[in-house]
Amino acid sequence: MNNISLETLKEWSKLGHRSSFSESLVLLARERSDVVVVSPDLTTTARLINFEKEFPDRFFNVGIAEQNMIGFTAGLAREGLMPFAVSIAAFAPMRCAEQTRNMLGYMNLNARVVGIEAGCRFGPLGNTHFAMDDMGVMRGIPNFTIICPADAHEVYKTVFAVAEHNGPVHIRLTGAPGSPLLYPNDFDFKIGKSIEYRSGKDVAIIATGSVLAEGIRAADILEKKGISARVIDMHTVKPIDVDMLNKVFRENQLIATVEEHSVIGGLGSAVAEYKAGFKDAPSQIMCGLRDSFRKIGNYEFQMKENGLVAENIAENIVNVLQLSKV
Amino acid sequence: MEKKSLINEIKDKTELMRRDCIEMGYAAGSQGAHFGPALSCVDIVATIFFGVMDHDPKNPRMPERDRFVLSKGHACLAYYAALIESGYIPKEMISQFKGNDSILCGHPSMNMQYGIEVSTGSLGSGLPIACGMAMAAKIKKETHKIFCVVGDGECNEGIIWEAAFNAAKYKLKNLIVIVDINDFQLSGTTSEVMPLNLDALWKAAGWDVSYIDDGNNVKEVLRVLSEIKKSNGENPKVILTKTVKGKGISFMENNLAFHAAPINEEQYKQAVEDLKRAETKRRNQ
Repeated sequence: MNNISLETLKEWSKLGHRSSFSESLVLLARERSDVVVVSPDLTTTARLINFEKEFPDRFFNVGIAEQNMIGFTAGLAREGLMPFAVSIAAFAPMRCAEQTRNMLGYMNLNARVVGIEAGCRFGPLGNTHFAMDDMGVMRGIPNFTIICPADAHEVYKTVFAVAEHNGPVHIRLTGAPGSPLLYPNDFDFKIGKSIEYRSGKDVAIIATGSVLAEGIRAADILEKKGISARVIDMHTVKPIDVDMLNKVFRENQLIATVEEHSVIGGLGSAVAEYKAGFKDAPSQIMCGLRDSFRKIGNYEFQMKENGLVAENIAENIVNVLQLSKV
Repeated sequence: MEKKSLINEIKDKTELMRRDCIEMGYAAGSQGAHFGPALSCVDIVATIFFGVMDHDPKNPRMPERDRFVLSKGHACLAYYAALIESGYIPKEMISQFKGNDSILCGHPSMNMQYGIEVSTGSLGSGLPIACGMAMAAKIKKETHKIFCVVGDGECNEGIIWEAAFNAAKYKLKNLIVIVDINDFQLSGTTSEVMPLNLDALWKAAGWDVSYIDDGNNVKEVLRVLSEIKKSNGENPKVILTKTVKGKGISFMENNLAFHAAPINEEQYKQAVEDLKRAETKRRNQ
């Protein structure tokens, strides 16, 4: 894995995570001949045209059939290849959840299931195309690792990191084209080890995926109000980084989990589940998608509707901190 | 001459395998076992393991081995019996079928030490995995074959057809599927539950279709499987094979009650008696 140029990262950020992912995959495939891609008729949607062009014998369009996509992927992985099954997050892993559990999780295969446009990026397309519950499904499957990268650079790091990882991985990609580049410089990325993006002593904002950018902006807003916010990039939701959580429990008085996923079953749940065993752990605000089907609307509308913009996150935190002082 | 002795050898194995099936199923006690769907495909599985498949029980991970995938995973008694009679699984493990912390689950769980190639049991899962394995062999330019046994009831599953279309698209000629048509599924005959024209469906999916009129006749099964293994057609191959559910046990044959059921001591004795009688009859022929 080589360092990637700032120009490339800026370009990928403009194009969005689908391109960051597919271009990273091309780079990985140049280094590793065992990398193959399986996709259910989403070659253009998933920006896989370049991959298909460069590696026509390692690219499989299995038609609009997600269940078989996972089975086929399992067979390829079983024989020692390194398949990436790429679909829209609303359809894989949701539509093929049982296959994902029995064929990949159960046999602990080295396969990667990639969900593009996770969360509510497909806002105008309606609830059939929102992936708000995919982590809830995947977290319950043993052996699976779940990674939600926050920006173009972290997508790139994720693609190369999972190639060295044993066991099945779910990669969940959120964010719109033009999402900020949060890691312009090279950085250490290790699966299962979160990144302290910014230190702070009052509240700990723990975010996963592209919405980390809003968590960082919320910390800026809070700073102006005299509140010190630590920001954690919890790119790996499973296994969750308990060392970092232990530190947060000791050092911060409030936690705000931030995710573009239902407040049921995702990052917030993972933190709360671990926290349940601690008598004096800080209380927690769960910023995420409410437990309801969504109104349709563009990405910006969706994020505002669900309180996933920095202003809402900061306001929430301020309110809870003030309440706790009363 | 040599072929005749191979047929007899496989027939000997089917006798041992049917006994193993009954012993394992009886050992499971009140938990019972899927006797019917296992006994229908014993002759098919035996012929694959002892007649056509290249494999080495002393080296279960041999890269060039032919692969076997039991897509109708509930018929695992037949699979385990073949692995026992091949020497992958020690005979002493028969008593462990469905036992606590046992390797021999009620549906196969991948375990290469014992020759269990993939985990199956949720219907429709074996075929797509077998397709991926066949594709991998093609990519790696390996010449081994993938044998996959699918149930007729299992063909209700949509994923079977997703996989079938995909295998034809990628011309997985190294994939040989045997559909065990025993005419029954859990709640009735296949024609009652979900009438399917399997012949037309597999042809329409783009597969080369062959037939075995009596899938419990080792000679027939061996003849067709050997031909198919040698054939060099470009398409994936499917063999539609008519069998008898519960074959070999008088009170289980074509009896839906023994799709999955426990057997009591009396039934166990009867089953052993049936098998002995058939063995004696064969030797006196």
